[in-house]
Amino acid sequence: MTATLVVMGSRERRADKDADFSAYMSARQAALYRTAYLLAGDHATAEDLLQNAFAKLYLSWDKVRDREALDGYVRRIMVNENNSLWRRAWKRREHSTDTMPETGVVDTYDDGMGGVLWSFVQTLPPKQRSVIVLRYYEQLSEAEIAETLGISVGTVKSQASRALAALRARAPRSLDSGGDTR
Amino acid sequence: MNHTPLEDQVHDSLHRTAAPLERAPFTVGDVRTRARQIQRRRTAAAGAAVAAVLAIAVPVGLSTVGPAQRSEVPPATQPPTPQLATGTVLVDPRSADTVDRAPVPLMDVDGPSLITPDGTIDLPKVYDTLTPYRDGWLGVAVNDAPDLPFAVIEVLDADLEVVGGGSATGGLAVRPDGQRVAWSEYDGERWQVVLADTSGGAEPVRTAFPPAPESHRVEPVGFVSEDEVAVRQFDDTLRTATYVVGSGRPVEVPGLLQAESSSPASGVVAGLSRITRQESCSAVVGASAPAGGTAWETCDHRLGAFSPSGAYVVGLDPESDGNGSPTVTVLDAATGEEVVTFEAVLPPRTVGGFWTQMAWEGDEALVVRMWQREDYHVMRLGLDGTVRRIDIPGAGVSGLSVAVPG
Repeated sequence: MTATLVVMGSRERRADKDADFSAYMSARQAALYRTAYLLAGDHATAEDLLQNAFAKLYLSWDKVRDREALDGYVRRIMVNENNSLWRRAWKRREHSTDTMPETGVVDTYDDGMGGVLWSFVQTLPPKQRSVIVLRYYEQLSEAEIAETLGISVGTVKSQASRALAALRARAPRSLDSGGDTR
Repeated sequence: MNHTPLEDQVHDSLHRTAAPLERAPFTVGDVRTRARQIQRRRTAAAGAAVAAVLAIAVPVGLSTVGPAQRSEVPPATQPPTPQLATGTVLVDPRSADTVDRAPVPLMDVDGPSLITPDGTIDLPKVYDTLTPYRDGWLGVAVNDAPDLPFAVIEVLDADLEVVGGGSATGGLAVRPDGQRVAWSEYDGERWQVVLADTSGGAEPVRTAFPPAPESHRVEPVGFVSEDEVAVRQFDDTLRTATYVVGSGRPVEVPGLLQAESSSPASGVVAGLSRITRQESCSAVVGASAPAGGTAWETCDHRLGAFSPSGAYVVGLDPESDGNGSPTVTVLDAATGEEVVTFEAVLPPRTVGGFWTQMAWEGDEALVVRMWQREDYHVMRLGLDGTVRRIDIPGAGVSGLSVAVPG
């Protein structure tokens, strides 16, 4: 009898956990997917990143006491998983971090530069890109970004500075020249 | 000209990109299923020495257990296989016949160990690349620690003890016959490329690049003749330049945004040639003096490794990314025409494909690493259309990696 009661208690706790988790996921999935997409650059990887992060959150649900921090937990997992994927890709010789795509048209800020900039952001090295997404999309502070990435505030600053310098070096050329490709 | 601050432009660009996305692609049930997979994987990994998951490469010249058997490497002039499949061959690891012997060296990151056709060698640490050299080995050791070079060149003796090297490197490349090796190293002021006999017979030839920071990394791409190697160099302007290095000054090879592979048999380099918003294109260019000249270009494939004879070259999906490529196409290296395409069979809603890291088994087959979400398989894809799964267990969760031309 006691054993039965224990099992029922466990089931109830599981049901409560699932209900809580389901409510959180329903509320936040679309928003967090956007972040995943900006980090990954394609839908398949974005889905994988987010599902993986949700799964890890699910496994740790009972340990995450601060419900206000759930988004940060998911973001941290996604960012680090994405950076890890890039590390694995190092030997695959993709190095898309080092080659900027060209644009085929002269863009203006309002009707094209946003897309061009996005294509440039996609070519940034993974940490720089993470910093850019967290800073300018999630609008996190430098301290929050440092905590998310597990790096110092100084490194966040230097990564952001390098990323912006890389974007700045490229963006004006897209505006000024109508060359097709290099 | 737009004068809006770049930070604001980036902010707007990211929000405009993300705003239309209203996706909620999975259910709580999907997440619970993934959670169970993670839990099983964690259980399996407990007690195993799980090293950093890195893509590990061994040059194709390494097809023997030890340095002494180097002569068994097939010659670069091996003729193409006469029987060729055409069209598309589906690759499904679940239904493929299996073989229990690796036709090319495999690396088990979690061992770490090197699995050759003739036996397994336990390694003291994880190497990105390892090849027979003199009486021992030449390797590229990798680490993730901050403030240390990501990759370091190491000379090892027959017992895998480090006896030389230690400089930051951009990697190494081995001639298909295994007789010559090239690597890059940074001396604190400039990058150098070293060309050496793997037998140690002749004095290594060093070619220095102009002084530059370490971040202007020089990476060997592969040999383009008996004694010349193609390299690529990165710089702070986010461009790469391709050079041929022999006994004199580096000679720049025009025509590529980023070199990816080369063939000493035909003296060519393949790589990205153009990237536009619509597509990315690859080309094969001549590397012999006078360097340059595009042999052919394709926007349907991203080019990979040449076969040892130079007859074929790998073509991957041009949109391939960190998830790899859904297809692998073997192209006629002289013309760019498709010979046969291998397509990964993936269950619905499953991320996967072929890793871009792969090795040629002569001119007869490709050995590739294929993945389906969290399952990894090493597959032998015969140019005659045969598909085999190489059934060798790995020591941990990372699975086995296949060889790749250096």
